[in-house]
Amino acid sequence: MLSYFIRSVAFRHLRYSVSQSLLTIGVVAISVLLIIYLRTIIGGTQQRITQNTTGAIPHITVEPPERTPVGAWQLSNLGLDKDTLYVGEVVNLPKAREVIEDWRLWLPSLDAVDPEVATVSPIVTGQAFMNRGSRRQSVRVTGVIPERHNGIVEIEKNLDAGRFIGMVSGDVVLGQKLARDFGLKLRDKVRLVGPEGLTLNFSVAGIYTTGFGQVDDGQVFVTLRDGQSLLELGGSISSFGIKLTDLYDAENVARRMVPVFPFKVQSWVVQNPNLFRTLDAQGQTRDLILIMTTIASGFGIGSILVMVVTSKYREIGILKAMGATPGEIQSIFVLEGLLLAFIGCLVGVPLGVLLLKGLAAIRSVGPDGRVDAPFLIEIDPMLLLGASLVAMATGVVASYFPARKAGQVDPMQVIRGS
Amino acid sequence: MAQPVVELDRVGKTYYNGDVETPVLFDISFSIVPGEFVAIVGGSGSGKTTLLNLMGLLDRPTAGVIRVESQEVSQLDELKRAKARRDRLGFIFQFHYLLPEFTVLENALMPCRMRGREFEKSQEPRMRELLKAVGLEDKLKVRPPQLSGGQQQRVAVVRSLANEPAVVFADEPTGNLDSKSGRLVFDLMKRLSRESGTAFVMVTHDDNFALEADRVIRIRDGRLVGAPLGAIPSPERLGDSILRGGDRA
Repeated sequence: MLSYFIRSVAFRHLRYSVSQSLLTIGVVAISVLLIIYLRTIIGGTQQRITQNTTGAIPHITVEPPERTPVGAWQLSNLGLDKDTLYVGEVVNLPKAREVIEDWRLWLPSLDAVDPEVATVSPIVTGQAFMNRGSRRQSVRVTGVIPERHNGIVEIEKNLDAGRFIGMVSGDVVLGQKLARDFGLKLRDKVRLVGPEGLTLNFSVAGIYTTGFGQVDDGQVFVTLRDGQSLLELGGSISSFGIKLTDLYDAENVARRMVPVFPFKVQSWVVQNPNLFRTLDAQGQTRDLILIMTTIASGFGIGSILVMVVTSKYREIGILKAMGATPGEIQSIFVLEGLLLAFIGCLVGVPLGVLLLKGLAAIRSVGPDGRVDAPFLIEIDPMLLLGASLVAMATGVVASYFPARKAGQVDPMQVIRGS
Repeated sequence: MAQPVVELDRVGKTYYNGDVETPVLFDISFSIVPGEFVAIVGGSGSGKTTLLNLMGLLDRPTAGVIRVESQEVSQLDELKRAKARRDRLGFIFQFHYLLPEFTVLENALMPCRMRGREFEKSQEPRMRELLKAVGLEDKLKVRPPQLSGGQQQRVAVVRSLANEPAVVFADEPTGNLDSKSGRLVFDLMKRLSRESGTAFVMVTHDDNFALEADRVIRIRDGRLVGAPLGAIPSPERLGDSILRGGDRA
């Protein structure tokens, strides 16, 4: 433990050298503030980009495996049926439309596949035309079980009117923009024409604004059964959408699912490789800046302590002559570094929190007219603690070398005034 | 016969710098008994400070044996020498080097502080008395930069007695003071030595001070030389173990 002698000399040095102490505390406080600011702002931006990308899509998509049709004449290319000679016209085989027929059997297994799974939503999806009066527009029809699908995209919370959960056969729920374009209000009638020409009439049951372009514009929700009818899928679905409790674990969960299910299982990470690369690059840049900041702060503490040691050379020599051990002298200066870093944290952390709270309070009007906070800020206590620990560790490491130098002062040289 | 506080037996010191050997002290033997006031004199480069450093356990001899209070200390490692200095030795230097962050009283108590808060507390009344005795009773809470050079050196003299040492080593303690302040400090050391029964070993250039010492050890070219200058202490007081070896030369 640090003795009374070590503590008292270290404290007194700091109190007596006010300007040097304040300078060091300032350096540490700024670096702590930078660590907190950069991590929160860049973390928030990343979270916002990720949310914007993944908010309207499943974290994991389970689709029927892709099967490319193979003609009998192509079997020899695959090393099969080498001896048969085929005569005839070569035609391009159309890809079969893949669906999941026995989805009801798979649903319980998917629900229970991983503790991270929050929601599994069976989905049918396809293109259709929406007609009303003379207006006609291609839309993406998504047939869902609303209670389940609301866990994938939060429609219910973002309703401007009507309902999503509890919609029944014959109901359609659509985005505000589409409703405006078609002049639709609640309970208005609209007609959807499926890809095979089947026409069904729907009544507007809900109008929403989620803020996700791909959901708000050009997409309509109907019940799973209506979707299956309109797209003529019988009892099949197009895919399962899965939402997880931790979206960053999607790739791991997807990998664990691949050997278990006879489907194509893909995470949002694989479906959005560019986004992932961008976020990764951004994270690396942030980490580089943080490392540089920490090093700069370390040099700040170190250089100031080198000055302190040099200016106290004689006093150190006398203390050693009087019986202070090299370890005690070294401890005095390491303790000074630690104390300076600690006080720097006490200043830097509240400043960082204050800055972030100020930024969090800013509101701006987006292009869609919605008032929104430009910075997504969540103050993480673990980050505050982490930044403080990093700063204090930097203080100790940075003070170690000047402290060692102090411990090695030769009292005999000091005594002679050399 | 008083037990010596410091004994040197055929002590030598050679500095090594690569292949170059520089012998500084040769075959030094003498003893110092409690309460004795010894002056070490000699020209520049004669080896007197090296001798003081060896006795003060700041350095290790390359030959011979040094005992402090009968315990051999010549080859102790740095940590043990530091502890021995802290517990049993006192120092006064030409430059007082008080710590500017601490008050006069705290500076005087600094060697006690190294031994813990309790020990420091236990010694505080004694140090207050000593500071009062050297005329600094109204300066206890003052910081060193506010004192004159002579006053600061008086604090350093009191500090050297803080841990009730067996012996105090003083390296030209008056060398940086004007003659009046120098006289004050010297008289103070003699008085405290007499009153406390602490042995003082003082390196000095000033023959006037040396003449007033109980004994003078003269050193030239690293060897003890000639008859002791000044008063030869009475055998009753010092015991016959004082004048031995090179000291008799």
